[in-house]
Amino acid sequence: ICSVLFKSKVNYAFSSPAFPWFGMDIGGTLVKLVYFEPVDITAEEEQEEVENLKSIRRYLTSNVAYGKTGVRDVHLELRNLTMCGRTGNLHFIRFPTQAMPRFIQMGRDKNFSSLHTTLCATGGGAYKFENDFRTMADLELLKLDELDCLIRGLLFIDRVGFNGHPECYYFQNPSDPHSCVKKPCNLDNPFPMLLVNIGSGVSILAVYSENDYKRVTGTSLGGGTFLGLCCLLTGCETFEEALEMASKGDSTNVDKLVKDIYGGDYERFGLQGSAVASSFGHMMCKEKRDSISKEDLARATLITITNNIGSIARMCALNEKIERVVFVGNFLRINTLSTKLLAYAMDFWSKGQLRALFLEHEGYFGAVGALMELLKTSEDL
Amino acid sequence: MAFNCHQRDDDIDEEDETPSKLPRCKKEMPGYFDNEPQNEAAAGRATPERLASNSTARHRKDSVKKTRPPFPWFGMDIGGTLVKLVYFEPKDITAEEEQEEVENLKSIRRFLTSNTAYGTTGIRDVHLELQDLTLCGRTGNLHFIRFPTHDLPAFLQMGRNKHFSSLHTTLCATGGGAFKFESDFRTMADLELHKLDELDCLVRGVLYIDSVMSSGPLECYYFEDPTDPDHCAQKPYTLENPYPMLLVNIGSGVSILAVYSENNYKRVTGTSLGGGTFLGLCCLLTGCSTFEEALEMASQGESTRVDKLVRDIYGGDYERFGLPGWAVASSFGNMMSKEKRESVSKEDLARATLVTITNNIGSITRMCALNENIERVVFVGNFLRVNTLSMKLLAYAMDYWSKGQLKALFLRHEGYFGAVGALLELLHPS
Repeated sequence: ICSVLFKSKVNYAFSSPAFPWFGMDIGGTLVKLVYFEPVDITAEEEQEEVENLKSIRRYLTSNVAYGKTGVRDVHLELRNLTMCGRTGNLHFIRFPTQAMPRFIQMGRDKNFSSLHTTLCATGGGAYKFENDFRTMADLELLKLDELDCLIRGLLFIDRVGFNGHPECYYFQNPSDPHSCVKKPCNLDNPFPMLLVNIGSGVSILAVYSENDYKRVTGTSLGGGTFLGLCCLLTGCETFEEALEMASKGDSTNVDKLVKDIYGGDYERFGLQGSAVASSFGHMMCKEKRDSISKEDLARATLITITNNIGSIARMCALNEKIERVVFVGNFLRINTLSTKLLAYAMDFWSKGQLRALFLEHEGYFGAVGALMELLKTSEDL
Repeated sequence: MAFNCHQRDDDIDEEDETPSKLPRCKKEMPGYFDNEPQNEAAAGRATPERLASNSTARHRKDSVKKTRPPFPWFGMDIGGTLVKLVYFEPKDITAEEEQEEVENLKSIRRFLTSNTAYGTTGIRDVHLELQDLTLCGRTGNLHFIRFPTHDLPAFLQMGRNKHFSSLHTTLCATGGGAFKFESDFRTMADLELHKLDELDCLVRGVLYIDSVMSSGPLECYYFEDPTDPDHCAQKPYTLENPYPMLLVNIGSGVSILAVYSENNYKRVTGTSLGGGTFLGLCCLLTGCSTFEEALEMASQGESTRVDKLVRDIYGGDYERFGLPGWAVASSFGNMMSKEKRESVSKEDLARATLVTITNNIGSITRMCALNENIERVVFVGNFLRVNTLSMKLLAYAMDYWSKGQLKALFLRHEGYFGAVGALLELLHPS
């Protein structure tokens, strides 16, 4: 849709929506915000620009942290992107959903509503906080379905690329820690694909074309489970802390493996001795509980949640007869452990039939999709 | 994914039409049974087993092995957490037999049948005892005993002290432990194990028990109105024409099998989030030490304080994809918040652990049932022992998410089928 507009760069014959251009995805744990910063503003435009719009632009682009918990992922910034006839940078910002009231407050303080812009929002929070936006900041949300936005955003980012580099990657030799290497790939002819979105919870979609997909299933054992359990078991408080601990632990002290039960492999059904038979299975024994560390527990939690998702994804891929499995969502943010584990699991258990793919912009696709809806809507005017 | 299909190709029972059968030993046995008219009568009596054309079918086999194994008759399943033992106590012992009976055999029989607890952790599930059962031409009671795998060394020691090895009996054992502890049995008690596959034994045991229970209190049951806690009732179910069935074995870990006939099944998949996970996590999160304690706590807790529900994220239902507001979106999802962590109780955590593990199994099972095109799902394994909460949850989940297409079934002898299968192998080797 917008690709047609890309060619007519400085052609204002199309009415592009009023700035600012945002796309918002209010999830169970995190709010993902994408902001388009125009860099082709003419002197005239600048002069006419209202004060609060300028202030918003300056605030967002001159900071990388906002308040105590807002973060701009600078490494993900897409530079010199053309959208809806304008050229600019696309910024990726996130903050905990818990901080939503403060965000809305900020919107009020900056008189956001006076800008008469449409705020496209997706994720459960677009529904949950709709009233709050209205009453607290006089803002009307354009609510969009999170899975529609996810797919739209994903395909767009893959198309435009990541500052000249591929957005999509996979792991070569995932089963060999020494030669396991990250490799770029293109999602040309991406269909059909199995899309596994790992946020607080997990949704698994079979995508046949840009507009044809179905939600195959989901699981409630997702990123929120990993973080929640880790906080309980180790006393940590943040995702980063949990990952840090997990990177140092040994889950085999916590999990009961096939070899702990069989004394070796369970050959009859192809289960290696090193496979986990019962996650946390050793923890029913007091001696073992007393001998493991918090790091071991964090690691076991990560492995358990990740492998469960992998197992379910694999079953879906098999049943939908799809070979390509794309994993997205913020559970995978800075989480190489899980990413590699998923790559390994897909490869190993399917004997090389399935391939796990990953995308650099992980959890932001919903927000990008919402932004695109904003731009598409204007095109209809 | 490689599906492991296992055909028992020695079993060519074309003549056998009945869906489940009890293999019977032939009556033409050497002298041992000459003076036992009651045995003949017992064999001729209509027993709980479905006889049908069994005897013809088994003729071929029994012509190869004419001798019945000597007592004692045990079947053993050494799992990741529990050892399950079935013991056949003969009640038709003649005066002669009793006189000839060696002392340690008598002592074993007395020890097992006059106690319901053994040592500090062994338990005989008296309520599961099958009385007046006829097995291989003998009549007796089948006893169901369990103890933690952790205490196997003590068991082996006992086997040595009672000179079990002098009885020259074959000890049929299944489960991972049959492999892991094989050399311990040999070195510590001079016992040779006849190792059997746990899933073969499971399937065999399930089909046998269901067949012998057809005249007594039914082995198989389901829950009517699982969604209505006030009216949810346990109802008997006849597992005639049981095939195909999805068999979900929830032990320390979980195996899911698609069973097409007695000798044709495949392991569809499994999950490592099983009973061991529930107990392990509960011990860590609540400080409890046993399965019973964990269940007790769970029964008193509220998991919705711990889990993040769809309505916590959407403010209501996620209508587009049919997810009701009360569905769990993220298990333990509220626990990343310090405030919420401080406001939940141990009971809430135990409940959430139970619900999480149970629902995950239910979800995976449902996917398998859908893909294998099977409507009947039978849940077994000791995770369900005294665990009505999980059973009802599974019953509900199967019903709700499949819109009534799938039915969850349960069996009273829960976790003992592997051991029963092992016993059957002793009596009727395949």
